[in-house]
Amino acid sequence: MSYLVLSTIILLIGILGIILNRSNLIITLMCVELVLLASTILLLFESRVLYTLFGQIFAIMILTVAAAESAIGLAIMVNYYRLRGTIAVRALNLLRG
Amino acid sequence: MYLLVILIPLLSAIGSGLGGRYLGGKGAGLLASVWVIISCLLSFILCYEILINGSTVYIELGRWIESYLLITNFGLQFDMITAVMLIVVITISGLVHIYSTSYMREDPHLPRFMSYLSLFTFFMLVLVTSNNYVQLFIGWEGVGLCSYLLINFWFTRIQANKAAIKAMLINRIGDIGLMLAIILIWKEFGTLDYCSLFSTLHPSSACTWICILLTIGAIGKSAQLGLHTWLPDAMEGPTPVSALIHAATMVTAGVFLIIRSAPLFDYSPTATIIVGLVGSLTAFFAATVGLVQSDIKKVIAYSTCSQLGYMVMACGTYSCISSLYHLLTHAFFKALLFLGAGSIIHALLDEQDLRKMGGIVRDLPLTYILMLIGSLSLTGFPYLSGFYSKDLILELTYNSYCLISIYWLATITAFLTAFYSFRLIYLSFVSKPNLTRTSTAHLQEADWNLLGPLLVLGVGSIIVGYIAKNMVFASGIRPLLPVPTIVSLVPVIMSVTGILLVFIRPYIKSRGSRFLLFLFYAWEFNQIANYYLGSPVWKFGHIVSYRTIDRGILEILGPTGIAQFMINRTQQLSNLQSGLLFNYVLVILVGIAIALQYLN
Repeated sequence: MSYLVLSTIILLIGILGIILNRSNLIITLMCVELVLLASTILLLFESRVLYTLFGQIFAIMILTVAAAESAIGLAIMVNYYRLRGTIAVRALNLLRG
Repeated sequence: MYLLVILIPLLSAIGSGLGGRYLGGKGAGLLASVWVIISCLLSFILCYEILINGSTVYIELGRWIESYLLITNFGLQFDMITAVMLIVVITISGLVHIYSTSYMREDPHLPRFMSYLSLFTFFMLVLVTSNNYVQLFIGWEGVGLCSYLLINFWFTRIQANKAAIKAMLINRIGDIGLMLAIILIWKEFGTLDYCSLFSTLHPSSACTWICILLTIGAIGKSAQLGLHTWLPDAMEGPTPVSALIHAATMVTAGVFLIIRSAPLFDYSPTATIIVGLVGSLTAFFAATVGLVQSDIKKVIAYSTCSQLGYMVMACGTYSCISSLYHLLTHAFFKALLFLGAGSIIHALLDEQDLRKMGGIVRDLPLTYILMLIGSLSLTGFPYLSGFYSKDLILELTYNSYCLISIYWLATITAFLTAFYSFRLIYLSFVSKPNLTRTSTAHLQEADWNLLGPLLVLGVGSIIVGYIAKNMVFASGIRPLLPVPTIVSLVPVIMSVTGILLVFIRPYIKSRGSRFLLFLFYAWEFNQIANYYLGSPVWKFGHIVSYRTIDRGILEILGPTGIAQFMINRTQQLSNLQSGLLFNYVLVILVGIAIALQYLN
């Protein structure tokens, strides 16, 4: 049960980190990682509780996806930094409506 | 022949209007004059048949409006009233046509002028010959239209434009009265042509309202007190126009309406008293204003107003036929006075101010004699035509059943009439010369195209009253009650006193008082109407109905308001897309939360 609470808190911290973060894109990326990790923990916990392996399979797949995602994200970020010279999130509003 | 009399002026109008550029000024003048004179001669034959031989003619031309309850025909009715009006309209019109060929010779738009004159004659004929109220209304509006076109003939002058618009609009107030009267007649009696209407009349409370509304129509068209202000301003048009429209024909349409509706008025004593009062007040008012005017045409215009008051007053004494009689004689001497004034104005190089005239009797003897005849006739000098009709009206008012005040107003007016007519003669012909040198050098009588009509009208002013005395009363008149000898002598005494006073006046030390100014500004009628009616209505139209309602409430509730609302809302909506990552995430999460809430 405490796993559930823990992972939910981590998930919420991750989401709040994305929402409240105004300064740095790296923090956003790290928060995304946090959300993914929290969901991995949830899946593992669910697999342990329900005695199934699907949760662990998904957890491994999410780890893979998270690694790929953070690699691509960091690549985009590096390129973006090269172009604009900043990675502040509040300066990221070129596509304003 | 009956149709020809009416159609010839129309053809003449079309001919000189559309063909004017091929005919030229002279050709159009000749064409219009000849055609209208032919029509005039035909009308004399008609009048001989109708008045002397007593053959009333009804012509059905065809159906016009045919619905369940309302049937209106195109039809002509030639009876005694129409015959007298025919003489008035076509004779004066023919003479004015001839006169204009000389008076307007230098004008480049003579064909247009001739066309308008003929068109006016046509509409006036439609008015007088119709056999129902709706067809009368065509003529009624038509003469209003032609009056607009003719007053506005020199359309480059702003004053002429304003005067024309004023004439049209003030006439329109009366037209609304006439229209309402027509609607009421239809509602009450179900028929609009005279024969059926007058044979099915029955006393009813609506009669009073119908008659009052008809009176309002007559007040507008005949320039009676209240709606008279357009007539003096209409003098902005050329002088022949003033003579034709504002002396002899158009303004008599209102009186004609009352005469035509006389059987209706017989059922409504209230309306008849109102008619008498309005007429007598107008006569008195216009005469007092005429005393001090300095524009020669305005003096005659106010005199027209005053004489129209006499005619309406005569209708108010249950004696429409004497009103018609005065209409006939008045047409002759008033046209004579106007055309004579035109002759003076022409000779003085378009000088209209009485104060800048004087002493031209030596150079314009013929005009002087003719103006003198016209003025004497107007004042009711014994044995001239005005005498017969005017004194008859005065005696009728003495015997009228309703109000003796009408008699006193009429008598005082007779005195004032004599005074202002001879003031005009005195100031323009007799007093010390006050001309400029150039106009003195050019001073001479005009050619015979101009003087011929004057001569005919002069003869008319002398004899028409005597000749028509039997014609008008042929079908019998209500017996005249005997009046005391002194009453029948009073008008003549008053007139002679008035005439003498003019010649004594220069020896009386006079000074411009506030009272004279009050009279000069026509009892401040224009100012009062502008201040208490015109400007509030104007302001209401601009501020309330235009700015507040049309451009305000309706715009906000309608197109502009809705468009502005949509633009604002969509602007706010698209501002949600801030371009900032964390806002997007927030929106996504909130969206998911809401979706989860509702999808469960």
